[in-house]
Amino acid sequence: MKLVVIGAHRERNDIEPVAEAIAVNDLWLSGMAVEESQPLGDRDLLLRVAKTRAALLDRATFVAIRYGFTAHGESDANAKCAAHLERWRRVLNEYRGMVEMTLKAAAAAPRARPDRHDFESGSAYIRALYKATRMTDVAPEFRKAVEDTLAPLAVKHRWSNRDTSSLEFAALVKREDVAAVNDAGAALKRDFPSVPFLLSGPWPLEVFADDHE
Amino acid sequence: MSDAEDELSLLETLDHLLDRGVVIAGEAVVSIGDVDLLYLGLNVVLANVDAIIRTSQPKQIK
Repeated sequence: MKLVVIGAHRERNDIEPVAEAIAVNDLWLSGMAVEESQPLGDRDLLLRVAKTRAALLDRATFVAIRYGFTAHGESDANAKCAAHLERWRRVLNEYRGMVEMTLKAAAAAPRARPDRHDFESGSAYIRALYKATRMTDVAPEFRKAVEDTLAPLAVKHRWSNRDTSSLEFAALVKREDVAAVNDAGAALKRDFPSVPFLLSGPWPLEVFADDHE
Repeated sequence: MSDAEDELSLLETLDHLLDRGVVIAGEAVVSIGDVDLLYLGLNVVLANVDAIIRTSQPKQIK
């Protein structure tokens, strides 16, 4: 059997009985035990993990582990996670009562993704792709409205360029402020009907799990 | 919730599951369809170019 790891948690009670728990030092990993031969690309497994992930977040905030990481018991998990434990401990304690919300907005003027065949070297292609991604932005008035309405509700927030056609606003918010964030999103929909965007959440610690600030 | 909203919600959920969260270095499974073809236990991080660019600092792109 292997454990498809879902997240890192502060307390064992945050995991059981929703998922299986294994200790990593003083923290806990949640996961789903599956047969060794179980393909990770299986659609039903993906959906079960997604559902369990949501149920775990209902219980307590945790650090999200990207899908695909598996562990075979405590010693294996401890060896693989040792380098992360100190940071996980810090963010789990600091952000215990918080969740993430994300707003993904379409770029005001989407840039064409550079074509690899137009470049002689991989590095030149990477540079061009990087430049195209970085130059992507949303309409200034929409960005300002997000800054004015959503950002004040967040403990921390961050804009990130995900690709050449969209920009993402991630907010770390107190659980009790999730409804207010959704209300602010509904107001943005009314005020900017022509801007395609998706406000979603709550999510576990994803963007702010790697917080080094 | 409409079918379209359901689908959007599922897509967003899968996007977060597959493209967010902490990456444990040295763990990767390369799959095609439902078949895991290759397990990589190297001390490197594999990611698509978009993901690398997203997480890189400008000084790292030379």
